[in-house]
Amino acid sequence: MSTITPPRAPGRSFTPPPAPSKLRETIGMLAVTLVFALAVVLADANWPRLLEAPAVLGEFVVLMTQGVLQNPLEAPTNEYWTRSLELMIESLHIAWIGTLIGAILSFPLGFLAARNVAPPGVVVVVRQILNAIRAIPEIIFAIAIMLPIFGLGPLAGALAIGVNSVGTLGKLTSEAIESIDTGPVESARASGASRWQVIRYAMVPQVMPEVVAYWLYRFEINIRASAILGVLGAGGIGSILSALFNIRAWDRIGVTLAVIIIVTLIIDAISGSIRHRIIHGAAPRGVRRRRALTPEPPPV
Amino acid sequence: MIEFRSVTVTYPDGTVGLDDITLDIPAGQFVVVVGLSGAGKSTLIRSVNGLVPVTNGELVVDGSAVHGAKGRALRRLRARVGMIFQSFNLVKRSSVLTNVLVGRLHATGFLRSMLGWFRASDKQLAFEALDRVGILEKAYNRASALSGGQQQRVAIARVLAQQPSVILADEPVASLDPPTAHMVMRDLQRINRELGITTIVNLHFLDLAREFGDRIIGMRDGKVVFDGSGVQADDAVFERIYGRSLTNEDVLGADDVEAAPVSLTSDPDAAAR
Repeated sequence: MSTITPPRAPGRSFTPPPAPSKLRETIGMLAVTLVFALAVVLADANWPRLLEAPAVLGEFVVLMTQGVLQNPLEAPTNEYWTRSLELMIESLHIAWIGTLIGAILSFPLGFLAARNVAPPGVVVVVRQILNAIRAIPEIIFAIAIMLPIFGLGPLAGALAIGVNSVGTLGKLTSEAIESIDTGPVESARASGASRWQVIRYAMVPQVMPEVVAYWLYRFEINIRASAILGVLGAGGIGSILSALFNIRAWDRIGVTLAVIIIVTLIIDAISGSIRHRIIHGAAPRGVRRRRALTPEPPPV
Repeated sequence: MIEFRSVTVTYPDGTVGLDDITLDIPAGQFVVVVGLSGAGKSTLIRSVNGLVPVTNGELVVDGSAVHGAKGRALRRLRARVGMIFQSFNLVKRSSVLTNVLVGRLHATGFLRSMLGWFRASDKQLAFEALDRVGILEKAYNRASALSGGQQQRVAIARVLAQQPSVILADEPVASLDPPTAHMVMRDLQRINRELGITTIVNLHFLDLAREFGDRIIGMRDGKVVFDGSGVQADDAVFERIYGRSLTNEDVLGADDVEAAPVSLTSDPDAAAR
């Protein structure tokens, strides 16, 4: 029964196993260092400017902070704040529409990319399409495809974000579907349900919380993306940002950045708590706790 | 009612699940199948509703051939054969009612089922089924909020909502504590008696098998090695089915004081070795 080994007999010699070779790690470290050194030399960057950066940055930060600290109720600062907020809300609209497009398109594609739903041939094709979409940044989508077709404006931005979201959302959805509990699927099938009914009643309810959480998370990412796309002329806060950089209006840039940061943080916090609630369920409240303490009535 | 004619099941990896089984199960019988894990009792049950395809031989359930059945024909057959599982197999995030309504999907059209618009008569059947297993008041709770015994009752209600002529139960009480296990077995027996639904239950506890089985079928290595009444199935018979002496592990234990402990012919210490 006992698993304790008896003490070794005194004087008995033993050989420790040879230490595993560290050659692989050494070669790996050398390779990483070499690539880094090559990158520094080949990048042709003006490295000495790195030393000046803190001072220059400090100057800009002071200018921007001055803009933020001016009384936001007085002209012209109040104008800056309201305009920035308006444009930020336009960016949110773009991000929201883009996320909805991505969610609606990615949901069926997620099922087609799941090995436990679709035939192997379909899975391979759909996955490659999703991979290809993920490989292209939304900026490229916007410049190369959406802007030429739909022209400058929020529509092009929303579509670029939407198509790009399909790539990640489709993949995450398919992974959620593949990791479901197979028990309910088996029991639905055993009760004579058709393929569509099995998906609707045994699969969708299992993956829906995760999938909605992914949608919200993607919305958080898309807010940043829509701010960047604005710089290209796709509407929203980014458009005013590029205009302000051109005239070097640092105080207004400061106000605009403050709006972006504050709004993004607020939405991240709200979205994060909703996601947490979806995945982990509601926090226990008085009602629940009381119910848990009440002993269950004996079954009749 | 259920006829096995020289049924053989061979899995793709070459494992023989059922080896030339010939059996007749008349309507309304409560059959308990016993055997060690890997003896083929799960395969026997799952072949009845085509979850495991028959490789050779003929299997007829309620007048329809299961061997070779596919698509719509197989779904029609499964609608008449309800199944209960060891791990309950409920959708935990769905309500109890929705889980029971899964048993009505076979009678619900595509559009209705996709939109979740069940007929009032189907909902009525679901409520009646929940009432029969005594958990009607839990209809709108999430399945995950229920205890193990209650979840298995939801599974029984789902099967009842199917209005089946056969109920299959694959180790239905293996995940439950002894008192709950007895309760669930009594539910199954009551349903069998009151509604006359032919019931096949896999068990590995010999005391439960004797208590509830009108008929006990013993399996070993994919073959039927015993087929008789609970009275005939004494310890010697179980030792033959299991191919070893009995141990405490083979007995679920009493659900209350009056149930006498099952006699063990072998020395309990011998089992521990």
